[in-house]
Amino acid sequence: MTQSIHDSVTITGVHKKFGDFVAIHHASLTVRRGEVHAVIGENGAGKSTLMNILYGMFPPNAGQINVEGKDVSFNGPSEAIEAGIGMVHQHFKLVPSLSVAENIIIGSEPLTRQGLVDSKKAEVEAEALGRRFGLELDPRAIVSDLPVGLQQRVEILKALYRDARILILDEPTAVLTPQETRELFVTMRAFAESGRSIIFITHKLREVLAVADRISVMRQGRLLQTLDNQNVTAQQLASMMVGREVLLKVKKGKANAGETALEVLHLRANGQQGHAVLEDLSFSVRHGEIVALAGVQGNGQDEVVECIAGLRRAASGEIRIGGLKVGANPEANRNAGLAYIPADRGGLGLSLECAIWENMAVGHIDQFGSGPWFSPKAARDVCSRLISEFDIRGADPDKLAKALSGGNQQKVQLARELKRNAHLIIAEQPSQGVDIGSIESIHRTLVAMRDAGKAVFVVSADLDEVFSLSDRILVIYRGQIVADLNTYDTDLETVGRFMGGIESRTGQHMAEGHSHAH
Amino acid sequence: MPIKRTSAAGNAALLALRSMIAPMVAVAIALIVGGALVIALGDNPVEVYGTIVQGSLVGWPNFLVTLQTMTPLLFTGLAVAVAFRAGLWNIGAEGQLIMGALCSGIVGYAVELPRFIHLPLCLIAAMLGGAIWGLIPAVLRVKFRVNELVVCLMMNPIALLLSGWIAARVLKAPGPTNKLPDVLDSAGLTNFSVYSQVNAGFVIGLFLCILFAFINLRTKIGFQWRMIGLNPRFANYGGMQVERKALSVFLISAAIAGLGGAEQVLGQYHAFYDNFSPGYGFDGIAVAMLAGNNPIGVILAALLFGALNSGGVVLQMMTGLSKYLVQVLQFIIVLILSARFSWEWLKAQRVSVVEPQPQAEALPKNAETQEN
Amino acid sequence: MDSDLFYSAIRISTPLIFAAMGGLLTFKAGMLNIALDGFMILAAFAAVVTAYWTGSLTLAILMAMVCAVALAGLLALFNLRFKADIFIAGIAVTFLAYGLTALLLKGMLDEDGVFASTKIPKFPAIDIPGLSHIPWIGPALNGHTLLVYLSYLTVPVVAWVLYKTRWGLRVRVVGEAEDAARAAGISTGLIKVQTMLLSGAFCGLAGAYLSLGYVSLFANKMTNDRGLIALAAIFFAKGKPFPTALVALLFGLATALSVRLPEVTGIAPQLLQLIPYVVTIIALVFVGIRNFRAQKRQGAWRFDIS
Repeated sequence: MTQSIHDSVTITGVHKKFGDFVAIHHASLTVRRGEVHAVIGENGAGKSTLMNILYGMFPPNAGQINVEGKDVSFNGPSEAIEAGIGMVHQHFKLVPSLSVAENIIIGSEPLTRQGLVDSKKAEVEAEALGRRFGLELDPRAIVSDLPVGLQQRVEILKALYRDARILILDEPTAVLTPQETRELFVTMRAFAESGRSIIFITHKLREVLAVADRISVMRQGRLLQTLDNQNVTAQQLASMMVGREVLLKVKKGKANAGETALEVLHLRANGQQGHAVLEDLSFSVRHGEIVALAGVQGNGQDEVVECIAGLRRAASGEIRIGGLKVGANPEANRNAGLAYIPADRGGLGLSLECAIWENMAVGHIDQFGSGPWFSPKAARDVCSRLISEFDIRGADPDKLAKALSGGNQQKVQLARELKRNAHLIIAEQPSQGVDIGSIESIHRTLVAMRDAGKAVFVVSADLDEVFSLSDRILVIYRGQIVADLNTYDTDLETVGRFMGGIESRTGQHMAEGHSHAH
Repeated sequence: MPIKRTSAAGNAALLALRSMIAPMVAVAIALIVGGALVIALGDNPVEVYGTIVQGSLVGWPNFLVTLQTMTPLLFTGLAVAVAFRAGLWNIGAEGQLIMGALCSGIVGYAVELPRFIHLPLCLIAAMLGGAIWGLIPAVLRVKFRVNELVVCLMMNPIALLLSGWIAARVLKAPGPTNKLPDVLDSAGLTNFSVYSQVNAGFVIGLFLCILFAFINLRTKIGFQWRMIGLNPRFANYGGMQVERKALSVFLISAAIAGLGGAEQVLGQYHAFYDNFSPGYGFDGIAVAMLAGNNPIGVILAALLFGALNSGGVVLQMMTGLSKYLVQVLQFIIVLILSARFSWEWLKAQRVSVVEPQPQAEALPKNAETQEN
Repeated sequence: MDSDLFYSAIRISTPLIFAAMGGLLTFKAGMLNIALDGFMILAAFAAVVTAYWTGSLTLAILMAMVCAVALAGLLALFNLRFKADIFIAGIAVTFLAYGLTALLLKGMLDEDGVFASTKIPKFPAIDIPGLSHIPWIGPALNGHTLLVYLSYLTVPVVAWVLYKTRWGLRVRVVGEAEDAARAAGISTGLIKVQTMLLSGAFCGLAGAYLSLGYVSLFANKMTNDRGLIALAAIFFAKGKPFPTALVALLFGLATALSVRLPEVTGIAPQLLQLIPYVVTIIALVFVGIRNFRAQKRQGAWRFDIS
């Protein structure tokens, strides 16, 4: 790839592995001077990883990065900052108790002649900078008092203060209201006009079409293509993002849905910061069907599952498992017939420092020994049986869970949860970080559970998986179920549109003023 | 990695052996550093260590004194180990020990009862005293998510000062020393020997260690404590009622420490004395860490530190060295064991050296990756 | 209440203020340093030995600082490099220092428990002209030794460094939002080591004052949990320099009272000495209630310490 004077960043053949997992497959990307360049893809497609490599957060295993005509290899963010790269992270890197001006200058503080921090100058410069870019802020305001939208301004100003000529925005609209989003887009266009480059990471298609000059699509760690925003539609992008052909198709017969196993009624719950995340959410899952909950991450699916599993207290509403009303008590919920396979294997679903037999025993302790007594031998025996039954390769009851691969860890969770006689199975991102071979057997197992008359509820950000597994698809958007679709009567594009909020339950189009969206 | 099927027993033995490597290395390093110190002070380390071994283990009287000095460490070491294993940093064993001692000291002299009621009552009072002192950090930790280390640290001097006030003012026995009246004979723990103060408390301590080894391995609650300690989120997900069990294990830990106080009062001093503990609660941290929180390990670690302590006294009488050499060794061991540079650290060091290699082998593939 | 009482409160508070300022720096950098007592006891010993052998107070103070800084370096090494828990490593370092000083006392000076000598020089009292004529305040403030005045001087200096200099700003950023500091290209490890070593230096002064200024002797465990009280002051004042110093001064006053008051009123000294610890526990209860409310609001099950 040749470097032209119009290019501000050229990434060539960057490859990144985490252990055995390949996060980025030889990606190449060119960002021109003065353009807004969108990088789109589903969650886990590798967008953020690629950008973190560009920002010097971790080194690539192979490949080259060229910034403004110079080959670079950064040893940390400070060197990337030096080279003119700024990044606004999805999770802000701000100091809550400090003022706007102080946050902006951290790391490159202006000093007085005596060598002290020149806070006057910092305030004047911060204010001037804000005015110049239309991002006005009170430099003396304390950051924790600001609403999220304004905190993002501080992050952007921080990058501009260090004279960033290439600005990476990682999912910047995730935390903004539609109005704030429009304002941000105006600012982004203004930057591009002034000769800077903006890399805009997102998965929201209508935003991309509204603001980007060029669009690069990533899927499963590969950078597929870079397109001009002239002649492309949201549908085209959606199918590129998810891949037209469904890679893994599980053979399964027609569902034979029976009675209701899980019923969620008018559920409301708050998120980590105490604000409402779920608003009046209702749905049900019946015996003998697989229902998938699709949605862009962060729209409330974590909270839904936590509420059902008893790990989060709902603000109001009702959850019934097998007709029994359950609350925030994991033990009671499990006893009501719940089996839950969490996405966070290391943190929630397994204890990595424990032996496999111990991991398999949790949740079933009552079976191993009578009364208060515990029989490790019984637990080990059951574990050995499950290891061969679920074909967990390289496992031994006494081996530590952390010594297993992602796919085999997933099988340990699966074996433990499916062995119990549950009538409701919740599988959260069942194929995340799992190798292809294991995905297939995991999917087959879930279908077998359905055929045995159990209710299966799958939460997945991967639409391939949603389509290959489910009989029914629920789409969650901003804490509400916006669609309840029969898998056999719908297609990827429709689901994608619901996920991106382009279409709502009433069929009303939400794309605002962009001709490409239908 | 060689894949070899070993028998379950062989596996367990191998695991036990491997878990003993870190403590042994720590002890070895401590002995070397201590030896260097001894040389710097102009003594011969071989002679010094020889004196300690001689003075603590050789001959019946010496050995009995070692048993006496290891007794409080059995209790505090076990108390700390039980809490640490469940992921609760109870470093307040010192305060709990003092409160347990105070309560048994009060019940020991203030009520007159037949022996078979009085002694158990004193022991129960000690356990309650320790548990009540553990209740504050435990509730603050479990219900209110306040760092138990800070709370415990503050609770220790409060216990010392409060008991000091009681011994000096409120219930002071006549005489110059700040102490409570002597406990009645009906509350005394039977002394085994004329050579030392080793008493029935030693047997209670041993029994408790064995009991908790059994609880850890063969009861559901023991298994659950371990799971809570290693990953509380996982334990909660598995329906273990983490808050309730964490609270109860903290109180059990504190009660064990309190019982250690009763051993001191009922078995060794026969009254509650102000400031009687030279820091047994803190030594308990050293014992538990050396034992890897294993109750059987606590017996061995307590024996080691007890021997060092009783040998240290002999050392002080025979040479110009202080018994505090032992304390130095003890906390060098804690410092080394607190570091996480054992296996994982060494592995990480090696990985960071090896890592650049895949870069080189991945480079040639560049050409074939252009998809557009 | 008389000026004598305040005179001794000011004296008694001196090591508390030194230690509190040292602990404050690490606190601001996000480390709760519980080894202040360990640093102090080693410094106290080093000061006495040096003063006894050389007769020089300057050398004694220097040696005290060097030793305390070295011990702080050991803690920093284990906490930051070997990833040891700061509490466990801090306790180990503290008790190591207690044991080491007692061992060296016997090995080097052949004394058990306590060492005093007429060969140890004393700090001269500084007479500030004119001050003694001010009624009541004068006698309380005048006639202290150099280290006393120095300790009170460190408070504005620490405040100034933390809130006016670039280094101070970075310390606060590291302590409050380490990831923000890293993203801004600040070397967080370096800042932490620096605060830890400075904390050692402050404790060096505190220790030197304890054994040479307050009294002229060394005794085993003579810091008497002053490091813990300093920590309590930091906690209670939420890590602000001037309030921390004020709380330390109040704790010092409580100690002064615990010497004086019993003579007058018969209150047991132990009950007055309890004050710092009880006050800290009460402050922690309020922290806990705040945690509890936040937890209730958001609803997710959590067990980790906030």
